[in-house]
Amino acid sequence: MKALVYLLLTQTKNKILSIRKKPGLIILYSFILLFVIGSLLYLILVGDKQVNILPVDNRSLFLFLSGFGLLYLYTFTYSGLSTGSTFFTMADVGLLFVAPISTKKILFYGLISALGKAMFASLFIFYQIPNLKNMYNYGIIEVLSLFFIYVILVIFCQLLSIGVYIFSNGNQSRKNMVKMLLYLFTGALIIAVYLIMKNEAVGIMEAVKMLVDRNWFGYVPIVGWVIMFFKGVLMGSIIDIAISLALFALVSILCISLLTAHKADYYEDVLQSTEFNYQRIQDYKEGRNISSTTNRKVKVKDKENGLNKGKGAFIFAYKHLLEMKRSSRFIFVDVLTVITTIGVSIAGYSIKNEMKAYIILAAVIYIQFFTTVFGRLKIELMKPYIYLMPEPSIKKLFAASISSLLKPCVDSIFIFSALAIVGGASILHCLFMAIAYICSGAVYVGLTIVYQKVLGSQPNQVVQMFIGIFLMLLIFSPAVVISILFSIFILPKSLLFLSSLPFSIVCLILAFIIFLSCGNLLDNTEISEVKR
Amino acid sequence: MLSVNNVTKKYGKLVANDNISFEVTGGEVSLLLGPNGAGKSTLIKCISGLLKFTGSIEICGNENKSIQAKRDLGYIPEVPALYDMLTIWEHMEFIARAYSLRNWKDRAEKLLERFELDDKKKKLGKELSKGMQQKLSICCGFLPEPKLILFDEPMVGLDPHAIKELKTMIIEQQQAGNAILISTHMLDSVNEFWNSTNIMMDGKIVARRYRNEMEEAEEDLETLFFRITKREN
Repeated sequence: MKALVYLLLTQTKNKILSIRKKPGLIILYSFILLFVIGSLLYLILVGDKQVNILPVDNRSLFLFLSGFGLLYLYTFTYSGLSTGSTFFTMADVGLLFVAPISTKKILFYGLISALGKAMFASLFIFYQIPNLKNMYNYGIIEVLSLFFIYVILVIFCQLLSIGVYIFSNGNQSRKNMVKMLLYLFTGALIIAVYLIMKNEAVGIMEAVKMLVDRNWFGYVPIVGWVIMFFKGVLMGSIIDIAISLALFALVSILCISLLTAHKADYYEDVLQSTEFNYQRIQDYKEGRNISSTTNRKVKVKDKENGLNKGKGAFIFAYKHLLEMKRSSRFIFVDVLTVITTIGVSIAGYSIKNEMKAYIILAAVIYIQFFTTVFGRLKIELMKPYIYLMPEPSIKKLFAASISSLLKPCVDSIFIFSALAIVGGASILHCLFMAIAYICSGAVYVGLTIVYQKVLGSQPNQVVQMFIGIFLMLLIFSPAVVISILFSIFILPKSLLFLSSLPFSIVCLILAFIIFLSCGNLLDNTEISEVKR
Repeated sequence: MLSVNNVTKKYGKLVANDNISFEVTGGEVSLLLGPNGAGKSTLIKCISGLLKFTGSIEICGNENKSIQAKRDLGYIPEVPALYDMLTIWEHMEFIARAYSLRNWKDRAEKLLERFELDDKKKKLGKELSKGMQQKLSICCGFLPEPKLILFDEPMVGLDPHAIKELKTMIIEQQQAGNAILISTHMLDSVNEFWNSTNIMMDGKIVARRYRNEMEEAEEDLETLFFRITKREN
């Protein structure tokens, strides 16, 4: 046990000390720490005073919690059906599993280590303190409860995944049984929403909110238990809190006993998942994250084996087309297009207001940041070929950007058609919003290039992401401000559909300037080194 | 063929390459030896144009980042960098088209055959084992028929057949008058064809020897390596 305590403490200590050598991380963590401390101080100072700047009913938060619960339930159950889950790293496998230490103690170490990671990952809840206070008037107890139940949810889902893996590994009929249970569970939820819609004569959103607020929903596995706990905190019901925690504990004990049964020989059960996680991390570090996201089996036929088009720098554009074709049957239309379109349809249906549709535009542009800046151009910049190829830098950059420039064009057709059809926004509004979406895509492509120039040698992905978001806000701020001023002071009401036009024009100009000024990037920058 | 002059590469305060100068001529197989962290891979990446540095590097008389220099350069990285969604054959086609090569197909077929990849042409990059990835990476490096080839630990992950084939290919390149720079820890594997060696320590070349000098002194590569790196330690 001494060795495990030593390992836990030393790893934690070294992790903290290693930050000293990373100024980027010091700034980032200091910023987060100050924000969290500031928010907590705000909560303490304001106390129970009613703030409610934007009063929102509690059910919308229950809806968020249910969403997280469902997402985790599906994700972890499916991972349980394939590779399982793990609390361990490859170093644990190589050094700890072969050491003469009790397997149960090692499992306990794994759980503690996972708990630490889950708590760290759940810190984001504290960033929401101002929103939670302003929207729901929550105090410190409610915020801490949210943090606590979220940590429980994350740990529990990992245990559940291991449990599902042990139960179903190598047994197709058991796998089918788990899948069937999941389908029945989903079907039951859909029927419940439908019945509420019918009986109460309400819309889909209201029906979902009513469903998660029903008392019996608290007994729905995982999703309901989370809500029951939090409602218990809000209403001061110790019984609800106790029942919820008891249910989590009961299933956790069941999963742990599955793990520790038969002389606690669980190493094999977590090995595949540990190796899989390790490989994913390596792939991510080596820039293979985007293309590896598809698990679709690709069988290449003889006549399909070849690029067949393109020469010089433009081979990158044709290569991207081929890669996209292999990742998705419809080339530019992929899972992201479908999910965004569905999301926009739901949001559009709920909002049904043309001016509020700009909130949807802002949201899709924000999501577009992550898909473009960490997309195919970024992958190219992490591989040596684009630097080695004997062609001018600007030509190579342009060719490698073509697919990223075209994708928003195709996506915008689906996204804004959905907004027009389901959300009822006018066609002209949607058209100009689509143009804004395409132009912001061009800025993001430019941003990827700036990114490489500024942060090419910055290996930390978290720092890269935060600086990227900061750059995005910096670049978009003038465009957004100009658009707002244009709409308020210049545009007549009949021409309000042109509100996003200044934004689009500024974006295009910015993209053009970035491209011209950074065109020689490949001659003046460094390949992002793989961090090992 | 390759001329490295006063190259310095720094990562913050760490000096990875410290004022390095050396040359590799046509038909010469030059080695970069040194303990881990000596700066060998960094130097190879600087020569390839993947990293920024101070000083100058010329490949066949052209600045290393010029288009002509890139045309004359072949680089086989330590970690194979392949595309998951391209097949083996498409990687070859990609290189051929990127370098605007003509009549490349027979050459590509032969390269794949030599590395026993000819029957796996339809396999995707993500389906290849580490060893197969390394073989394909070597084929991609050789396809444009470069005049200078840089190898960063080329033998790692290769099976004995592929190691033998690679050695033969290096000797062929040597005989054809091309320049080769190899960074390696596997001293035995390069013993039969090296012409010059550069031993690196702490970012500097601390010794440069030619084969004939060493043969006259009756010293072998391994003894030299340990003598120098031990003394420097």
